[in-house]
Amino acid sequence: MARWVAVALIAVAVGMATAPAPAASPTPAEAVGEKLIPLERYSTPKGQTLARVHQLRLYKFSEHIWGCLPWLDVQKQSIGFQRPKGASGDDRYFSTWILIPQAENPQFAAQPQTRRMSAMFSRYGVDLLRRMAGVHDVLADSNVHGFSVVLSWLKPGTSRPGAQPVNESLAAFIDKATGLEYLERRIPHADFARRMRVVGFDGQTDLGPQVLELWDDDFAATFKLPNYEPPAGVTC
Amino acid sequence: MNCARIVRSALVVAVLAVTGGCASSEQWAEWRSHNTHFASDRHMGFSMRNNMEGNNPKVTRADMDLSPRENWWGKVITVRPDQIFEN
Repeated sequence: MARWVAVALIAVAVGMATAPAPAASPTPAEAVGEKLIPLERYSTPKGQTLARVHQLRLYKFSEHIWGCLPWLDVQKQSIGFQRPKGASGDDRYFSTWILIPQAENPQFAAQPQTRRMSAMFSRYGVDLLRRMAGVHDVLADSNVHGFSVVLSWLKPGTSRPGAQPVNESLAAFIDKATGLEYLERRIPHADFARRMRVVGFDGQTDLGPQVLELWDDDFAATFKLPNYEPPAGVTC
Repeated sequence: MNCARIVRSALVVAVLAVTGGCASSEQWAEWRSHNTHFASDRHMGFSMRNNMEGNNPKVTRADMDLSPRENWWGKVITVRPDQIFEN
């Protein structure tokens, strides 16, 4: 009898040791760090050097977005120095990709797709660009050619029960001079929209180049989540 | 007579176009000024809960991480990074 009890206890212990642990939430450090592109993912010396030199700055930037814009998500392994697909050279863009939790909204849904892209870039893209331009060491690095901002949000109508959710996305590439001139209000919205390169996506369908219509929208810069307290050490 | 009918029809079309355009503009202006377009009830639920209990009025980043995300990565068809970038 005692032998059977011992065997049962051993079996339980072995089972507990080998059973998969329940998925744990990442720690704050993990949540911030997993947004950065790992060094080994860079395929050119220029990209690797930029990532290594600015690793701490990128981490602090990731922490800033995570702590100060808590209603947004940042795609994993998206903050770093990317180059556009198909680019012939090795121009590196300081890049960030955010996911915007856009709820179903009839007014938003009624707009043409390009208009929705314009609205999202006006609201979130410009604010993100401004925050990226605040990373001075990165901005001052002559090996950084510009900024890349990717925004994704749920395509209207696809989050209803029974539908396959699909994200609409836009990827914008902006050279450093154009970005700074726009942020300093030295060029108007229309000039900026003409000078940046934007590609739109409907799910994984490439919609090709897009010309956006931009306007002032200070929501992302001014909105405060009620009762939200940023994490210790993060200044918003 | 035909001319009058054409003018009348054109006026009706014009009025519909103008009023339709106005309604659309107003709705769009509403979205543009709506500062919680992103925040579904579920996203904001923890805030209300905390206030009602009265013992933890602050919302932390961890609270946000626990709230459901409607378009969490992996469940939604999204452009792949390699469609946009090269590393």
